[in-house]
Amino acid sequence: MADQTNFDELYKEWKMKTEELMNRFPEKKEQFKTSSDIEVDRLYTPETVDEGYIEKLGFPGMYPYTRGIQPTMYRGRTWTMRQYAGFGSAEETNKRFRYLLDQGQTGLSVAFDLPTQIGYDSDDPMAKGEVGKVGVAIDSLEDMEALLHKIPLDKVSTSMTINAPAAVLLAMYIVVAEKQGVSPEKISGTIQNDILKEYIARGTYIFPPKPSMRLITDIFAFCSKNVPRWNTISISGYHIREAGSTAAQELAFTIANGMAYVDAALDAGLKIDEFAPRLAFFFNGHNQFFEEVAKFRAARRIWAKIMKEKYGAKKEKSLQLRFHTQVAGSTLTAQQPDNNIVRVTIQALAAVLGGTQSLHTNARDEALALPTEDSARIALRTQQIIANESGVTDTVDPLGGSYYIESLTDEIEKKVEEYLEKINDLGGAVSAVEQGYMQREIHQAAYETQKKIESGEEIVVGMNKFTLEDEPKPELHRVDPELQRKQTEKLKSVRENRDQNRVSARLDELRQGAKGTDNLMPLIINCVRDYCTVGEICGVLREEFGEYTGV
Amino acid sequence: MEKTIRVLIAKPGLDGHDRGALVIAQALRDYGMEVIYTGLRQTPAQIAASAIQEDVDVIGLSCLSGAHNELFPEIVELLKERGADDIIVVGGGVIPWEDIPFLESRGIKKVFTPGTPTKDTAVFIEKAVYERDGVDMSKKEPPKKIDHIGIAVKSLEEALPFYANDMHLKLEAIEEVQSEGVKVAFLKVGETRIELLEALSDDSPIAKFIEKRGEGIHHVALGVDNIEERLNELKQNGVSLIHETPVNGAGGAKIAFLHPKASRGVLYELCEKEKKEDE
Repeated sequence: MADQTNFDELYKEWKMKTEELMNRFPEKKEQFKTSSDIEVDRLYTPETVDEGYIEKLGFPGMYPYTRGIQPTMYRGRTWTMRQYAGFGSAEETNKRFRYLLDQGQTGLSVAFDLPTQIGYDSDDPMAKGEVGKVGVAIDSLEDMEALLHKIPLDKVSTSMTINAPAAVLLAMYIVVAEKQGVSPEKISGTIQNDILKEYIARGTYIFPPKPSMRLITDIFAFCSKNVPRWNTISISGYHIREAGSTAAQELAFTIANGMAYVDAALDAGLKIDEFAPRLAFFFNGHNQFFEEVAKFRAARRIWAKIMKEKYGAKKEKSLQLRFHTQVAGSTLTAQQPDNNIVRVTIQALAAVLGGTQSLHTNARDEALALPTEDSARIALRTQQIIANESGVTDTVDPLGGSYYIESLTDEIEKKVEEYLEKINDLGGAVSAVEQGYMQREIHQAAYETQKKIESGEEIVVGMNKFTLEDEPKPELHRVDPELQRKQTEKLKSVRENRDQNRVSARLDELRQGAKGTDNLMPLIINCVRDYCTVGEICGVLREEFGEYTGV
Repeated sequence: MEKTIRVLIAKPGLDGHDRGALVIAQALRDYGMEVIYTGLRQTPAQIAASAIQEDVDVIGLSCLSGAHNELFPEIVELLKERGADDIIVVGGGVIPWEDIPFLESRGIKKVFTPGTPTKDTAVFIEKAVYERDGVDMSKKEPPKKIDHIGIAVKSLEEALPFYANDMHLKLEAIEEVQSEGVKVAFLKVGETRIELLEALSDDSPIAKFIEKRGEGIHHVALGVDNIEERLNELKQNGVSLIHETPVNGAGGAKIAFLHPKASRGVLYELCEKEKKEDE
């Protein structure tokens, strides 16, 4: 009966903690009820506590956080609805952002075009054809000012999908906020800043691993002192999964990468509880509903254990794995694109039942082009329907205790631990990436999936079964083909109107910094303030750090 | 005579999504082609140069970033400038349907949209290369399966119970084939069949076979397409044939027998059936 006593004590502790929290952040309603007038409890627990419940599940908001990181979860506050958007010019994207905010979106998420993500200016020969295509083109501070025009940076949190040049774009954000009169400690948001998964799966790397890791730890150190509300990294399984991995691989490789960042930060002299609370994660919401829910729950448990047992983190926030979810773009079909709305709904529901902190729902036409405004709106509405109509938010971790879910959660955890051991044997994530280990594992899984789809073993509705003879051709979003020219002209005028001597001096200071060991963030901030471009700043760093060329 | 097709799979531009490129590369390799993958971030000039240097037959371009309209045609142009426009260029990725006619008008031979089975891509490439090289594709296809195995019996009535009752094979049909002087019974085994043959008269080949060698395996039938052209090719290659043109066989199939001396003692039949036969 020791278990029962233990449980009762913890339950009391949890209740107190919950009440304390609710004094500060009350729940949305006094009472939650079903249509039949049945009152919905905040949390459901087993009637008799079996062995392992406390160790494996515990209570939401308490170690090991399997059931969620807050005691009240969505009864207190719904997840952040954060739709990734960005295309064409900064002005055009600003318009879409303000449209999305008007439609009830609660956070921004910036997509940058590929030249920006790989540190080339719009007039670089390498940028040909790519300017403004998959996101917004940012060359200098002037573009960033236009992008964030009339958006209150003290109120809106902004996520930026930027990795290799993350320091540069964060620096621009800080300077634009300053110009709005918002100090760095007031701004909040996330930079992706996860270079290891770029080598593994996403491909927008610039520098080799070692200097890349330095840039990352420089950002950790700078932000822990100056930009405390900023999530300095979003350790991403999303792209690993998109590249074809299994759910267990997604989780394992992401956590292995997370540990590599923690190790690098510790090596750079940072204290675990200084930076660990600002680590965020980013996962994929994929098709297999229950496995996905289990994946998210396992992720929290695994990370909490690692942070506590391996790294000796003390702060609660260091132990809590917070994550953003985007549903799986690679599951969308070009055929019968409206079917994708249904896929997105199921995938998003899994993320919600898995306790996500924020969510991006894909638009139905993303297998064909960037989403139209209509498609983007339906995507947002999908999560609004889940949040406001389905009732799944009325209790915390509603699937907790399901035999199937708990068993899957355990199994995923076991598989992840096996992978982590293997990666550890290879010398950690950085070394495993350099040896191409994760890349090979993912490729193999991707090829197996493809073969199953082609043999019909795996059914994709509308594509290899239930197909239509004559596919209707929906209207698609088009990026202005003149954009590259316009953006290049704009850049030319920025170059003509800035103080060239100051630009040279700032870039030279950056070069000296890169040769040494000083934190590069203040130097980069100085550069962007004087309108050095993304391409110029990354150009200097390329010369000093070298370029990564793949495995 | 058998040529190994060489393919360059390339990622033009800055797009880092190479799941599709890698999957296609592997699938083409499994199909028997030699495949070179460029890796990420190749400029059109680099791709054209690699293709020429590697002496490939085909370039497969993959782009998911929307830069295809700029980058794909530039590669075709560069090949033309360097006198290498016999290299066939195909592409895939996230390519809006409305861009496909433009790309095709600029020399992209085919754009494969998401969801295209890799086998279709491989077959298309193979056909395009053979067509360019003036190779007749029809003879290239290997026989598809063993259509049936023919067994000579004295009496269907006596032989059938063993197959149907003891072996649990399903009797599909019994019919008379006048041209060969036989009555046949088909028993299905997976996609193949056992064909039991009973002579209709004493001068039927089956009667002579049984007289000479007793009951037993009589022939092996291979399922093929384009039976006429295949027979012509065999004739040209000096293979001796019993039927130089097809005759009507059981089930409306077109059939022809090869002479057993061509295959060291086994009697082979080629057999072409209507498409709907394939499940």
